[in-house]
Amino acid sequence: MSALLAVRGVSKRFGGLQALSNVTFAVDHREIVGIIGPNGAGKTTLFNVITGVYAPDVGTVELRGMDVTGWAPHRICRLGAARTFQIGKPFAALSVLQTVRIGALNRIESMAGATARALEVLELVGLAGKRDDLGRHLTVIERKRLELARALATGPALLLLDEVAAGLRPNEIQEMIALVRRIAAGGVSVLIIEHVLEAVMRLSARIVVLNYGEVIAEGSPPSLVNDPRVIEAYLGEAYTLA
Amino acid sequence: MIGLDVVVQALLSGLFMGSVYALIAIGFTLVFGVTDIVNFAHGHLVMAAMFVTYFLFKTAHLDPYLSLVVVLPLFFGVGALLYVLVIQRIVEAPHSAHMMVTLGLLLVFENLANLFFGGDLRGITTKYTTSSFVMGPVAVPLARLGAAAVSLLAVAVLGVFLARTTLGKAIRASANNREGAALVGVNVPRVYLVSFSLGTMAAALAGAVIVPFSLVSPFVGHEFILKAFVIAVLGGLGSVPGALAGGLLIGFVEALSSLYISASLGNAIVFAILIAVLLYRPWGIFGQAKV
Amino acid sequence: MKAFGVAALVAAVALPLVAGQHLLTAFIVALHAAYMALAWNVAAGYAGQFSLGHSLFYGIGAYASTMLYLKLGLTPWVGMFAGAALAGVVGVLLALGVYRYNVRGIFFALVTLGAAEVAKGLADNWDWIKGPVGILLTMKAAPGEFFFLRREPYYYVALFMVVALIAISLVLERSRLGQHFLAVREDEAAAEASGVDSYRAKTAAIGLSAALTAFAGSFYAQFYLYVSPETVLTFEPQLTMMLGTMVGGAGTALGPVLGSVLFSGLGEALRNLPFENTRQVVIGSKLVYAILLIVILIYLPGGLITLGRRRA
Repeated sequence: MSALLAVRGVSKRFGGLQALSNVTFAVDHREIVGIIGPNGAGKTTLFNVITGVYAPDVGTVELRGMDVTGWAPHRICRLGAARTFQIGKPFAALSVLQTVRIGALNRIESMAGATARALEVLELVGLAGKRDDLGRHLTVIERKRLELARALATGPALLLLDEVAAGLRPNEIQEMIALVRRIAAGGVSVLIIEHVLEAVMRLSARIVVLNYGEVIAEGSPPSLVNDPRVIEAYLGEAYTLA
Repeated sequence: MIGLDVVVQALLSGLFMGSVYALIAIGFTLVFGVTDIVNFAHGHLVMAAMFVTYFLFKTAHLDPYLSLVVVLPLFFGVGALLYVLVIQRIVEAPHSAHMMVTLGLLLVFENLANLFFGGDLRGITTKYTTSSFVMGPVAVPLARLGAAAVSLLAVAVLGVFLARTTLGKAIRASANNREGAALVGVNVPRVYLVSFSLGTMAAALAGAVIVPFSLVSPFVGHEFILKAFVIAVLGGLGSVPGALAGGLLIGFVEALSSLYISASLGNAIVFAILIAVLLYRPWGIFGQAKV
Repeated sequence: MKAFGVAALVAAVALPLVAGQHLLTAFIVALHAAYMALAWNVAAGYAGQFSLGHSLFYGIGAYASTMLYLKLGLTPWVGMFAGAALAGVVGVLLALGVYRYNVRGIFFALVTLGAAEVAKGLADNWDWIKGPVGILLTMKAAPGEFFFLRREPYYYVALFMVVALIAISLVLERSRLGQHFLAVREDEAAAEASGVDSYRAKTAAIGLSAALTAFAGSFYAQFYLYVSPETVLTFEPQLTMMLGTMVGGAGTALGPVLGSVLFSGLGEALRNLPFENTRQVVIGSKLVYAILLIVILIYLPGGLITLGRRRA
């Protein structure tokens, strides 16, 4: 059975900066895969390439067996990959319900049906009580939940989460982990970029480590904790245990 | 077949008017480069200065070049006042707010002028309004020469100011990277104020020096702002050297095209070029693409 | 709110019973401005596409119905639909060409301004439409030709146009397309990531707005009976649309109406009152409006309509 998402040999350069270099990995159905790496490693750029914000210079992206390299973002969303943004982008002047409903309209034609689906998703993420609040009035964690809700409402097969746990307090992180697990349990695969290592270690079946745009390691969380390449990437050579 | 001397005369005319257009456009593009605000009222500031100059000539018989002593500081002050009262409150607002508010200012200036002076076209006649000296095949009109010379001088002074003085460098820093400039201690609000006032003053200078050979009315501002748009975009929004080059270019294009085609058709062509630049090279013909 | 709306509608319908020709003219001008503002609002208010070139579509409407009448004897009642269709096509083509290059914000505004200026320049040199001289319409007086001797019929046509466009706006707000417009306005990247085809949405917004604007141009031609580049292709109509919408409240169905009635209606009414210095009064009122515009934009950026609905 082919993978849900297959990234093959993707490279991307911006002027003098090689943001991604020959990145290859896959995400299977019903799998949670984590992406970690120091700041500037190219993680968000990778998301942008997968979701069509940029076309890669070289390489391909396959989603559900189709070559989506260079497709426009809305087409990739239609096919079944939805992403959240690192800096939460709520539709400032629209209500929480309106925002999530726009996501729901991806799969559902009627406004009534989309509204119903949006309400369901809001229940799931715990924002039902805030349905009429405007995007610009939400707190940090509420924005994160809204991002998640908006992406989930589009009915994706693959959810790409960009640092959903950043800026959250410890108890909020636990809530977020539980929420992502609930969503994955519903059959959605998740590709998650995270700096909060606790979150990504506990959620992911597999982790891909990026540094300077290259995949430097890949494996299960326990196997990576002592991997010298990973340690070196985060802490520098001096800290590599011989 | 149009004779060569007519063409050369036109080129000369284009050089002169182009210099003035450049000054106007530089004021406009400086404000945009620093504050990110498109001042739709910029052309009407030129008009306002024209009226003040006209008024001083009619009542105090003050020659436009002499009245600069009054006009320049006056309009620096007007710019500062506008900034403090209106502009600084919308700096953080979306571009649509910038456009609408400055359109409001445009209407204020236009109706003020219309109210006090009426809508008729007016002009002044100085000793040199119709004088010219002959240089080979062409006649050099003194009034336009003077306007161009003063404009180019002003551009040069501004260039030196921006390059050499502390405040000038602070202005360039703020235009380049607002947060970065603030972080190194640049007083960004003051820079904005000065930039806007300088831009206004530049418009006023241009307005004053063209009065000897121009018709003055509350409605001439539209033409100036449209030219400022085109020139600033051609030169790259925010680029002072670009606006200089663009101003001269437009001056030449305008003068030459008037020899062969009607003014309105020439206008249409200029705007078609504007559209093409905006679509294919939005950083301007003379600008550099950002990565 | 609904009760107020019904009462206002009833009052509006009954107005000609008490109003003289002068007052009706003022209202017609106000309604015409309100309609134009509503049309511009579709693109600028709902979809966030701040076009400065809508005079282009206004002009297409005015000239299309006029030329079809002059050359083919086609009644402007039908001609205006042709004008709207033409304007819609032009709008779509323009949008398709422009959005390909991802132009937005001030660049988009300048492109649209440029397009309108190009159109005016070309119109001034196009002999078939009589260039800058313009076209003076002499209509055979018949309702069937969209020409009336009295003001009342014009008033009802204008009123109908406004009510219809308010209704269209309300339907749009509640529709899938309308939601896509809002999403694109708020954040195009997030909209795309949610499955919204922003290129298509923006193009649809411009096309729809263009077609709607054209009807106003045709109305203008049939009301004033004179069409020229100086009257329908300048920045004047654009200014009218923008002032009404931004002052009243962009992105709402009633805001543009509120703003336009305030600006245009009062201005026109002042012009007709027997002042000593009518000219000064009219210019003075424009001055006051301009200052009011600035004040509202700074302190009440959502427009006057937000006064009626204060949210926490």
